[in-house]
Amino acid sequence: MSDFVYFFTFQDSSIAYVVIGITLLGIGSAYVGTYSFLDKKALLGDAISHAVLPGICLGFMLAGEKNPIYIVTGAFLSGALATFLTSWLKSNTRLSDDAIIASILSIFFGFGVVLLTVIQKSGNPEMAGLNQFIFGNAIAILEEDLYIYGGLAMLIIITLSVFRKEFAMLVFNADFGKSIGYPMGAIRLIFNVLMILAVVIGIQAIGVVLMAALLIAPGASARFWTDKLSRLLLIAGAFSAVSGILGTYVSFVIPQMPTGPWVVVFLSTFAFASFLFAPKKGVLSRFIARRYYLKKTHQDHLLKAIYHGIEKGKSSFPIEEIYESFPYKKRKSKQTIDSLVKLDLLINNQGFIDFTPKGKSEAKRIVRLHRLWELYLNEYMNIAPDHVHDSAEKLEHILTPELEALLENRLNYPKLDPHQETIPRDNDEL
Amino acid sequence: MITQVESPILEIHDLTVSYDQSPVLWNVDLSLPVGKLIGILGPNGAGKSTLIKAIMGLVPVTSGYVKIFDRELKEVRSRISYVPQRESVDWNFPASVLDVVMMGTYGKLGLFHRPGKKEKKIAMDCLKKVGMQSFVDRQISELSGGQQQRVFIARALAQEADLYLMDEPFAGVDMATETAIFQLLQEMTAAGKTVIVVHHDIHSAMNYFDWIIMLNLHLVASGPKADVVTEELLRKTYGGKLNLLTKVTDIIRQKDFNPLKN
Repeated sequence: MSDFVYFFTFQDSSIAYVVIGITLLGIGSAYVGTYSFLDKKALLGDAISHAVLPGICLGFMLAGEKNPIYIVTGAFLSGALATFLTSWLKSNTRLSDDAIIASILSIFFGFGVVLLTVIQKSGNPEMAGLNQFIFGNAIAILEEDLYIYGGLAMLIIITLSVFRKEFAMLVFNADFGKSIGYPMGAIRLIFNVLMILAVVIGIQAIGVVLMAALLIAPGASARFWTDKLSRLLLIAGAFSAVSGILGTYVSFVIPQMPTGPWVVVFLSTFAFASFLFAPKKGVLSRFIARRYYLKKTHQDHLLKAIYHGIEKGKSSFPIEEIYESFPYKKRKSKQTIDSLVKLDLLINNQGFIDFTPKGKSEAKRIVRLHRLWELYLNEYMNIAPDHVHDSAEKLEHILTPELEALLENRLNYPKLDPHQETIPRDNDEL
Repeated sequence: MITQVESPILEIHDLTVSYDQSPVLWNVDLSLPVGKLIGILGPNGAGKSTLIKAIMGLVPVTSGYVKIFDRELKEVRSRISYVPQRESVDWNFPASVLDVVMMGTYGKLGLFHRPGKKEKKIAMDCLKKVGMQSFVDRQISELSGGQQQRVFIARALAQEADLYLMDEPFAGVDMATETAIFQLLQEMTAAGKTVIVVHHDIHSAMNYFDWIIMLNLHLVASGPKADVVTEELLRKTYGGKLNLLTKVTDIIRQKDFNPLKN
């Protein structure tokens, strides 16, 4: 607990720096990543982040120490080379996108690991920190590194904000952008540079292996919550920053604990929670919507059953008889009757069921939709009368009042359905 | 049957376009009059969309050139509006109807500048013209095919151009919408605009267009509707691909280089 207070009250100025750094980095890479996720280029981020490793090692070898300028430059150049090779191979060979990306990723990463081994064998005392680039260690970031990383992160965030309409155009409809004279090639180039920069500044904190998660997971999770680009970017930035800070906290509390995997754990928690609980698009809300729909269909069918009974001349409906018309569903039918009574559609008079006026008009509406649809199928789509029932049984629950009006109009307010049964209107006597 | 015109709004000179190795348009040479509703007809794979993309500079041309208003494309971009095929974009992109229509004002707005009240008003007016004003804040993913087309046409109107190039704006559109859009296009040409439309339905083409271009890998015909729509030319356009031309294309594809490129 004292660790927690110590960390989050920022008594230690170096912790404050790290937190600011990881927040900027998180927001920056979430911004870039959201665009590339929308552009369906999520894998490119993964390839770039693996491809910066040889650049880091070469930078280290040239400088002979962990000099941030050398390392950032090396990482940037090898990331740029990988990006360039990806698009060059695409336009000059017949290889598919996934084959190109998989090859670039593994070749660059393999070469990087070879260089890393060479450095480890060389016995350079500075090399200890180099392993951190694989899985990241935010706490090890020094203050002077942070000026570079933080500055680059700010550059990414500002560029993406200033050029928002241009980048949105690039992703949504680049051809149209070109047709109005926008330099879409240059905009794509700037975007690729920002993407590489985001990877480069993320590797110290998150590591090359997991950097792709920080690019893509925030946007992918945020997509469950909104359909607006501005909100999407905000939510993605928030998910990313919070995960970054929590991951840093864990690697502060537990020494030797790499930051990257923990950031990914927190990011996945957000992603999983979004997948489950987001309104409308989440699994839970879709499950509830489906449950509600099924309940509604059973209500409709029960009202219809009583209506059909009245049509056939029955005058009283003992509850047991209703149960029998829905075999094996007694419990469900009981619940449905209870809720229909609550909705003021049915009356339960000591075990005898009857419509309320409201219930009668609702039952007529459902039967009317059912029979209108049957007639439409029969007259306009030439489907035989004995084949129209099943479709109507499903569509009667979802046809809207507008469609009902359209059907009535098209069919010229018909009296009878294809089975010669009356299509009931609200004022008709039963 | 190719009618050339004096002082054309668009002149295409001996244009050949290839994708990778295969030529998809051979030596197209035509000129088009101002203020007409012009249809480009032809079977699938005839190069209709490619012709429009080549005019807009979206695909590299193998040889030949295009002049619009007697100038180079880049000098007159602001006077031209392009409507891409509906399927060419991802309609799940997080944007509202208004966002998309406002893109029509971006050309005049230029880089850096953000759209403001003026641009919003233009976009609203254009949405009204296509009868989509009640969909302003709707997400584009929730639109039907016909509504998506109308949004694209509203975006084109927002460009306030003189020449409109539309790639299959009637694909996936119901009859009522088709009639409404054609009326709108006729109003535009009556006001002096020129509208070029890639179209697939000969029947409605006969009703609406003033001028018809028929393509089938090469230019079959270009001229006033009455001159062009003859049984012979229709057979030339739709009566299968030219056997010999297709064979030459196959030979070129198997070469290591494209001999048509200069």
